[in-house]
Amino acid sequence: MLVMGIESSAHTFGVGIVEEGRILSNVKDMYQIKDKGMIPNKVSLHHLKCADKVIKEALEAAGIRPDQLDGIGYTMGPGLGPCLQVGMLSAKAMAHALGIKIAPVNHAVGHVEIARAYAGLDDPLVLYVSGGNSQILKISQDKFRHYAVLGETFDMGIGNMLDTFAREIKLLPAWGSSVEKAAAGGRYIELPYTVKGMDFSFSGLLTRLIELSGREKREDLCYSLQETAFSMLCEATERALLLTRSHELCVCGGVAQNTRLRSMLAHVAAEHGTRFGFGPNEFNADNGGMIAFVAEKILKAGKSVGLNDCVVKQRYRIDEAEVF
Amino acid sequence: MDYGAILGKGAEADIYSFTAFGTEMVVKVRNPKAYRIAQIDNSIRRARTKKEARIMAHAAGIGVRVPRVFALGTFSIYMEMVKGKNANLLEEKELASRRVLGSAGEMLGMMHSSGIVHGDITPANIMVSGNGIYIIDFGLAEMSRSVEDMGVDLLLMERSVSKNGFGLFLEGYKGSNASSGNVLKRLEEIKRRGRYQNRSLD
Repeated sequence: MLVMGIESSAHTFGVGIVEEGRILSNVKDMYQIKDKGMIPNKVSLHHLKCADKVIKEALEAAGIRPDQLDGIGYTMGPGLGPCLQVGMLSAKAMAHALGIKIAPVNHAVGHVEIARAYAGLDDPLVLYVSGGNSQILKISQDKFRHYAVLGETFDMGIGNMLDTFAREIKLLPAWGSSVEKAAAGGRYIELPYTVKGMDFSFSGLLTRLIELSGREKREDLCYSLQETAFSMLCEATERALLLTRSHELCVCGGVAQNTRLRSMLAHVAAEHGTRFGFGPNEFNADNGGMIAFVAEKILKAGKSVGLNDCVVKQRYRIDEAEVF
Repeated sequence: MDYGAILGKGAEADIYSFTAFGTEMVVKVRNPKAYRIAQIDNSIRRARTKKEARIMAHAAGIGVRVPRVFALGTFSIYMEMVKGKNANLLEEKELASRRVLGSAGEMLGMMHSSGIVHGDITPANIMVSGNGIYIIDFGLAEMSRSVEDMGVDLLLMERSVSKNGFGLFLEGYKGSNASSGNVLKRLEEIKRRGRYQNRSLD
């Protein structure tokens, strides 16, 4: 099967093409965040403007013609409504023009499934860390096959927390990777640390950091932020690892690109003789390849959706999505 | 420090046996976590050890049966070795009884009435000995008057036992907690909320 996937849930408009689980191309165009964060309508305009170009580039990179496609997938949610709409419209237009099947995909399932495949893990405990989400997941067969949420953030996703802080202290570009760079050589300052069982909270940490932002050195704040927030994630993950007796651990999502988080999780895994893995960074960042990857599985399971039944769902939880 | 045989390894702490002055004890040690920097690791382990011992003392003071604490180290708690079986290893008939779950419910009711939330109340943390049951592992316990936290305690127990067993647990709970009505109402509310749905392990 030859399937295209379109991702548009947040700042990235991405298109990927997959054939029998193999990624042929993965092209993206990202809305550049400056001082204000993401204004959904502005971001969706960016997506509208670049949609045709990105789709064309993905086809060219894969070396195929549109009429060779057997199906198309799009991100149904979770994400920003206006942004999701653009991806869905692009998918519907192409499905209509080409007369091919269409598959709605849960964004989080996309990240998890592609990371799992690249890491060569079978049934891992998953730490999914992105802008809007931070969750500890494990496949459950209860009622239908899905990723059950064992633990998650009480308030904001860790990525949003990192991005917001980066903007607050005027780092450029204003997102998490700049915090990682700025953390080099920092010293530790005590910050709020909130873990409850397998759940955690980041809002108190962010408030305290903003309070301290005029008074303390930037590198100290960034260093302490990373050490505190990642320790919280590791503690909750370790608890889930022992509870589920999982032999595999996988990290995915935008914040999985952070090398400090990876090395801490590797420690946790080693302590319990657990295999640890993650996917390539191009799939940890938002991308269309992962949507194509999952869409192909959905279409193979015969679960396509009619053109008039396509919807977007801003708060589409991962545990609502059937996994094939 | 050298302890005796390791009895259990948890996410939070390891449990060893230890004999001193002819008495067999259990030592709960919060060993260092290699993944986090020493400053964070030490302060968390120190604070949680102190808090756990304090809450255990408080619980014992209001008549909840908990292992007696003999001594407190920076990262370790030396306590009485309770001879018995964890309730999760019992047959359903033995577990779902007034003597075990009924009495555990009564103790949780006493704890909630005086502002202690256990944080991890499941049959694995109920020890059944010849002279009655003990509540163990206060590692996630909090001093809290929050109805939400208490509701989550009940939810965890409900998820871990049979319907009949939970019924007996609640009988005991209602008998020792005058505000049990509010907590039960919150439990229903929590169950209706999305984030707690589909969260069972299997």
